[in-house]
Amino acid sequence: MPEVIEVCPVAELQPGQVRLVEWEDLEIGVFNCGGTVYAIEDRCSHDNGPLAEGEFDQDNCTVECPRHGSLFDIRTGNPKTLPAYVPVDTFPVIIEDETIKLEVE
Amino acid sequence: MAVTEPKIPQTTQLTENEQLRGINADYTERYGFHDAENYLYKAPKGLSRELVEKISEFKSEPQWMREFRLKALDHFLSRPQPTWGSPMLQEVDYDDIHYFVRASERAERSWDDVPDDVKKTFDRLGIPEAERKFLSGVGAQYESEVVYHQVRKDLEDQGVIFMDMDSGLREHEDLVKKYFATVIPPNDNKLAALNSAVWSGGSFVYVPEGVHVEMPLQAYFRINTENMGQFERTLIIAEPGSYVHYVEGCTAPTYSSSSLHSAVVELIALPGARIRYTTVQNWSTNVFNLVTKRAIAQEDATVEWVDCNLGSRLTMKYPSVYLMGERAHGEILSIAFAGKGQHQDAGGKIIHAAPNTTSNIFAKSISKDGGRGSYRGLLEIAKGAHGARSKVVCDALLLDEESRSDTYPTIRISEDDVNVGHEATVSKVGDDQLFYLMSHGIPEDEASKLIVNGFIEPITKELPMEYAVEMNRLIELQMEGSIG
Repeated sequence: MPEVIEVCPVAELQPGQVRLVEWEDLEIGVFNCGGTVYAIEDRCSHDNGPLAEGEFDQDNCTVECPRHGSLFDIRTGNPKTLPAYVPVDTFPVIIEDETIKLEVE
Repeated sequence: MAVTEPKIPQTTQLTENEQLRGINADYTERYGFHDAENYLYKAPKGLSRELVEKISEFKSEPQWMREFRLKALDHFLSRPQPTWGSPMLQEVDYDDIHYFVRASERAERSWDDVPDDVKKTFDRLGIPEAERKFLSGVGAQYESEVVYHQVRKDLEDQGVIFMDMDSGLREHEDLVKKYFATVIPPNDNKLAALNSAVWSGGSFVYVPEGVHVEMPLQAYFRINTENMGQFERTLIIAEPGSYVHYVEGCTAPTYSSSSLHSAVVELIALPGARIRYTTVQNWSTNVFNLVTKRAIAQEDATVEWVDCNLGSRLTMKYPSVYLMGERAHGEILSIAFAGKGQHQDAGGKIIHAAPNTTSNIFAKSISKDGGRGSYRGLLEIAKGAHGARSKVVCDALLLDEESRSDTYPTIRISEDDVNVGHEATVSKVGDDQLFYLMSHGIPEDEASKLIVNGFIEPITKELPMEYAVEMNRLIELQMEGSIG
């Protein structure tokens, strides 16, 4: 059963900004790509690199793993370059009451 | 039982042997020479932001490539030297290397235009002759840039692009931008970051959809400057249903202080395409050969690496194939010969990321006179890659008591419905084998060579003819301990 968790007020995550949230043993990177918010698991599928610490390109909505350089599409979780080849999990984002929320399970 | 002194009749074999000794005698002249250094520009030793900017400026590169290089430099500087692999890796002194040398003003199209010094080098390597006989095109890398590069007209007519990487960037920027560093990103590892920061030369190959390049494309690489690093960058894109065979061979002068060769090679085989990439590596034994080679094979595509490592002080090289589409096939054939003072840390990696993909890794290493041959391999089958089949065989041959062989096979399987086989053998040249051959009148050193040639034959037979000849000669030279 999915659970909804709160991230932060919308005003606190401006375009180009990233925020890390934890839920149980999951870490989730929340990215504002030019006004649209997306959430992906903060763990590179190649070598567990912390994606939210990587270079975030909001124009292309990608993040580069700081460990070995795989580029991920934040909208889909799909890697655009090797060495990662498995997508990372994505999480539905809900904007409600001026608050960013995530659906997790 | 005593073995009688074998009587050698005057046969063809002896003649060949004499010829080989002849090759041995003039080895220094043939491969160990270096011309007087005469360059248009030679950067001082060491790496800096200014140097990287200067390289980019020299080449009149677009802004995105300049930024790419600078970012890669940051990655390189922030990463520690790897501690795995060979202890020799710690001997590399990055501050003691020239990162950029420019031998000629521009890439040359005609042999007549190539500067005399450079021409002399290539004459000794026999490139023009080879071109006439075998090649569909020649890319010859002298120092950091390609100075001689010619593509035969029929290739051009087919739409095949085969040029040095610098020209590729200038003339086909959109293609390069689309694929460059998508297989090996700059911070993949420290050496890939170094290459990404200072790359120069290498080959750019593009094969249009459905085109079969019948003759192998060849490029020769050569280091001529003491403490000179060579950082070529090769990108091969095979469109759907196309085929290309690319061959690289290396020789280098024998110098007393170390040189660094760190290439990045990216292969992209789109659906149904086939790329074969053959290397005969014969750097002199002061060269650190630290190379990243990786390929993507999409649906129904095939990528084959044929990798022969004879020279260098240390080689660390593990060509990889990522099988990304259903029914893709990957093949790695690897030979390593480690003589005195050498460590060949070679192998390969195959990643099965899609269903019904298949692969083979055949690795053979020979160690002699205290040399060390290592096989380091990875076979990975991802969740969902059902029906994957793979066979890994790594064999090592030790020629004496002082030599060493190591095997580091890693196999990770995350899927149930797969078929994976792994075999590994280590053997010595047996006294009984030697005795058998010697009893037929073959001297001991000849008998050893025959055994070694038989050991590697399954791989040499995959080489183009002239390379198989060269390979056999190099093995003979190694057996006589005369390389480097």
